[in-house]
Amino acid sequence: MSQQDTFLYALSSNNAWAGYKAHQNPNFFPKLASGQSPQILWLGCSDSRCPETVILGLQPGDVFVHRNIANIISPTDINTSAVIEYAVVHLKVKHVVLCGHTSCGGAAAALSDTRVGGVLDTWLTPLKAVRFAHQEELDAIKDDKARAVRIAELNVEAGVKVLMANFAIQDAIRERGLEVHGCLFDIGCGRIKDLGFGTKGRNGASGGLNGSSEEVVRGKHAQLAFRGGNAQMIVR
Amino acid sequence: MFNARLVASFLTRQSSSSRCATKLNSFSRLSSTANTTTQLRPGVRFCSSHGSFGTASRTAANSLTHQSSSSTTTTPTPRFASSSNSSSSSSSSSDVAMYLKQSHERVFESNRTWAAEQKARDPEFFAKLAAGQNPEYLWIGCSDSRIPAEQITGLEPGDAFVHRNIANLVCNTDLNAMSVINYAVQHLEVKHIVVCGHYGCGGVKAAMTAKDMGILNPWLRNIRDVYRLHEKELDAIPEEEARYNRLVELNVIEQCRNVIKTAPVQQSYAKNKFPIVHGWVFGFHDGLLKDLEIDFEAVLHDIQKIYNLTDN
Ligand SMILES: [Zn+2]
Ligand SMILES: [Zn+2]
Repeated sequence: MSQQDTFLYALSSNNAWAGYKAHQNPNFFPKLASGQSPQILWLGCSDSRCPETVILGLQPGDVFVHRNIANIISPTDINTSAVIEYAVVHLKVKHVVLCGHTSCGGAAAALSDTRVGGVLDTWLTPLKAVRFAHQEELDAIKDDKARAVRIAELNVEAGVKVLMANFAIQDAIRERGLEVHGCLFDIGCGRIKDLGFGTKGRNGASGGLNGSSEEVVRGKHAQLAFRGGNAQMIVR
Repeated sequence: MFNARLVASFLTRQSSSSRCATKLNSFSRLSSTANTTTQLRPGVRFCSSHGSFGTASRTAANSLTHQSSSSTTTTPTPRFASSSNSSSSSSSSSDVAMYLKQSHERVFESNRTWAAEQKARDPEFFAKLAAGQNPEYLWIGCSDSRIPAEQITGLEPGDAFVHRNIANLVCNTDLNAMSVINYAVQHLEVKHIVVCGHYGCGGVKAAMTAKDMGILNPWLRNIRDVYRLHEKELDAIPEEEARYNRLVELNVIEQCRNVIKTAPVQQSYAKNKFPIVHGWVFGFHDGLLKDLEIDFEAVLHDIQKIYNLTDN
């Protein structure tokens, strides 16, 4: 097994995952193959610690995703624009969620005066602009981590503004009640906080801590096991 | 060809990471997505979250870094908040507002449950995550909602740096994707870059439709260019679906080439012998990833005749 590595691991566990999913529900993959109708467009950071579908507790088919460095929404970026257009106009998602996160490397880079190099400095320009627009407030924060959190929030606020100015989004808000949300994922505790930007405004924040009566569901445990180089799902 | 021996040695770098921590796959929600039946029945559903791709597999696959898998057997039963409206569409327009509110609440509810689960299983889980990231992978995939990278590969939070766009394209003038590659290779020093496409890609289909799609035109044009590069081969495939499937594969191969054409990849490989670039295709019919077995060394060599960005 010492020759195993994460690459082989990923392919192998995919094999097991697919087998288990099909075993558990023979209709799962045929249903997936028939098309997608996600309710959520997620715009987030590429950071490996923010796997959207996992942290949202959702399933394949639920979340249409674009992730880039520091979840920057730049109005002239053709990549993001294409994603937004496709999700809002063609798939007709019901929510657009722009989500930043704590301890973001992009935020830290934007707060620094050193050159990152390559194409990155150009990409980070909008985030630098956020920094300079809020220089005083940011300078007043003495703690480095807290300052990075604050610029991440301001970045989401700026991004939501760009989203709200997008014509496809404006049309969808007017015509079918599309909602736009600005959130922050706290890597230190795993929770997403609704920052209240977007269609709902400040009062609409719903990320409160006192979650209403949650129905608890228990099921069978299963785990992936390697035997002789093959992976399989074991249900206990 | 991908060289397993080459990269095996990189594993030790991660020995202090938190990979024993389990992850949530939220498979319990499977039926509510796949079926229209949304009622949750205790005991029927695979709860898995952690079990599925977490501890045991990682431990076994990566015995260099993790010795014990016994912790999984004692983990608490995962809990999931129920939801009654996961995939239904509202039938009455008067319900729309209520429905939208509920479906958004669902997100925060699921997230709270997930966070609580992780913490119950490993109190240090988030503290370790917050300490930094050291991903082995850069995943470049389609935005399509049906292909969450982590769930289909069993990778944990912290394992894969992710960029997803329409039809998993890597265009040399796209600052967005180029910045992702730059950061992942030069700053995070990922060992593998996976370009993952999928059969039945709506982006690829849209690109081959004779229609003006506005702001999508410049983006989707890249797929038409892939077709033009492989026109003979594709035109020779009589059946339409088979032709699309092949176009999906060729698109992945071309995007892998585009990744290899970048300066960070060429320079890092010259110096470190990584990253290695892989092309995969995900199939919805069976949920399996197909490795297109791109010969990285050969492609790199090929490309550098014209696109060499190393200093020699
Ligand atoms: Zn980030
Ligand atoms: Zn696609």
